Amino acid sequence: MFNTPAPYILLGLVLYFLTYRFYARWVDKKIWETDPNRPTPARLYFDGVEFFPVSKYVLFGYQFKSVAALGPIVGPVVATLFFGWAPALLWVIFGNMFIGWVQDYSAMMMSIRSEGRSMGPITYKLLGDKARKILLIYIIFYLIIITAVFEWTIVDVFNRVPGTFTAVLFVLAGGVVFGLLIFRMRLDVLLATLVALAIVLVGYFTVVLLPYARQPGTNFLDSSEFFVSHNFDKRLTYPGTFTVLFWLIVVSILYYISSITPMPRFLLPTVYVGYLPSIIALVLVLIAAVFTPISGLAIQQPAMKEFYVDPLKDPRGGPLWPILFVTIACGAISGWHSLVSSGLTSKQLEYETDALPVGGGAMMTEGAVALSSIASVMVLERVTGTAADYVQGATLLTTSLYRIPAVYMSILYGIFVAVMGLITSMLFVRVFRLVMAELFEDTPLGNKHISTLLIIILSGFLAFVGSWTNLWVFFGGTNQLLAALALLLVAIFLASIKKPNAYVFIPGIFMTVTTLAALAWETYVYGLYGVLNTPMPVQKSVAVLYGNTLVQVANILSAAFGALLLVLGVLMSYYLLAGWAKYRRGQK
Amino acid sequence: MGFLDRIREVVEGLTVHGQSTSILKIKAQIDNLFMIITLGDMLGIPILPPYYSLRLVPYVFPNIQNWKRYMLRERDFTDLVS
Repeated sequence: MFNTPAPYILLGLVLYFLTYRFYARWVDKKIWETDPNRPTPARLYFDGVEFFPVSKYVLFGYQFKSVAALGPIVGPVVATLFFGWAPALLWVIFGNMFIGWVQDYSAMMMSIRSEGRSMGPITYKLLGDKARKILLIYIIFYLIIITAVFEWTIVDVFNRVPGTFTAVLFVLAGGVVFGLLIFRMRLDVLLATLVALAIVLVGYFTVVLLPYARQPGTNFLDSSEFFVSHNFDKRLTYPGTFTVLFWLIVVSILYYISSITPMPRFLLPTVYVGYLPSIIALVLVLIAAVFTPISGLAIQQPAMKEFYVDPLKDPRGGPLWPILFVTIACGAISGWHSLVSSGLTSKQLEYETDALPVGGGAMMTEGAVALSSIASVMVLERVTGTAADYVQGATLLTTSLYRIPAVYMSILYGIFVAVMGLITSMLFVRVFRLVMAELFEDTPLGNKHISTLLIIILSGFLAFVGSWTNLWVFFGGTNQLLAALALLLVAIFLASIKKPNAYVFIPGIFMTVTTLAALAWETYVYGLYGVLNTPMPVQKSVAVLYGNTLVQVANILSAAFGALLLVLGVLMSYYLLAGWAKYRRGQK
Repeated sequence: MGFLDRIREVVEGLTVHGQSTSILKIKAQIDNLFMIITLGDMLGIPILPPYYSLRLVPYVFPNIQNWKRYMLRERDFTDLVS
């Protein structure tokens, strides 16, 4: 029993339930004092467009869809690779219990109590224009990094799970057809959904039943001699290869289309159609993880590995603190969530009391996704630290319980990971383009084609030269620093209205110190490889193919990114702490 | 509300809610453009109120309050993420 993932996953689910039942409700009642009779912005400022009341069940689904992507899947895989599954599991459980849901829910409540304003205007109101501008620049760099990370993850799945791309193409085609049927032909939603699902199923079964449809194969553009002569594993993905370049171009084309076409024409219907198989995949793997004592699948990974991974041995690792805490991002805590919570959801909550099930509930459900990811990687003998591991682990879990041929499951999970990553990163590219348009409206940088190409080239370059592996830590660092800033902002807000704020301030300080330390560490690692003039192990293929100079450029660029983010993070933290101290004095 | 209704609503949120909100925004932008062209003077946009605008007032009257609120609301880049 204890050699299977089941008891640990169940423990996590039970602790989440208890947190929601007691701690979260206590915060909701005693600190925010939510009242169903107090009018929410949705009711006060009803405009039928952005502000209008929506059922909490709809908003729960929307919030979950907006926050859950590749973060809770890849993070636990990478963390298990370096530190073992036990630290990863503990951080996913306790991080979510005391920090994760706190941030999502509190950011939502802060927005509700601030007339539905999002993070930017609240920052401006509480801390002034300088702090808001720093936040804005910070988010631009955050978007470039997060896009590079997701881009590589998708490329890796397309390369290592042949057939996924073909199946994903059918999903995208289903989305486009759905959009046309709804908006052009005014077809009934149910009928249009059935047509789109039929297209998705045709793609899925084509790939599953016809082996020749599982093309192109792994590393199809690169010669076997290259892999043999350099002792590279032909089953893995190596930066700098022609295959990677090919997939990056494919993904970039999708980014470009999604960025410049109207939302209802491509992105939104694709999200709709893409989420249908994804929900099925997620439910199947969670059930399979809980029933591992029946399926007989035992844990293969050690519970504890190392406390410190030498950066010269593997630059993706590092000391357990702070690296573990940023490697696992969205499953435990994520700054993106505060943007979503205050961006749309808070404007549509019908009752204040809905904030807990919507904000807190969706975050804990995302914690369950992270638990499923840990379960998937626990049962694997060999972990490489990529999303393809999740595909393999989830396939193993589900095939052993449901007794379905592995190819059915591996393609389903390939679609799941690729679609989750694609949809979210397409949104990042689009948001980047919109933010650039806001900032540089009268210059070429504000042009939708130029700004889209800018992020595609920058993130594509970082992914191509293999900086993505360490960028994952950068992504976690920037993402969680944003969360720390949101927590501190909530603490300031609570201080400004003379309410207790320790429940957000303490996690905010912990996350600030941890994430700044992680950013400093990662900047040091990039700098170290730059000074030593040597490629990171993962970049060896790039150095072999294009020479050391390109690798150096990438590492120095990454170190510069890290240094800049660190400075911005320190500045923002200073403003927040000074603001907190000021309001705290006023509170006494 | 029954269990199945709740499930249906969660699925709606997971799938079409973002889409319907986005469509509402696009529709509102077109409507707002029309309102600005015809009744922009209400927001201080220097448009001479023509005879046609006055004839439209009874039809657009129910939307004027929401339109003003939508147009004059403070907006920020952090609103764009969702």
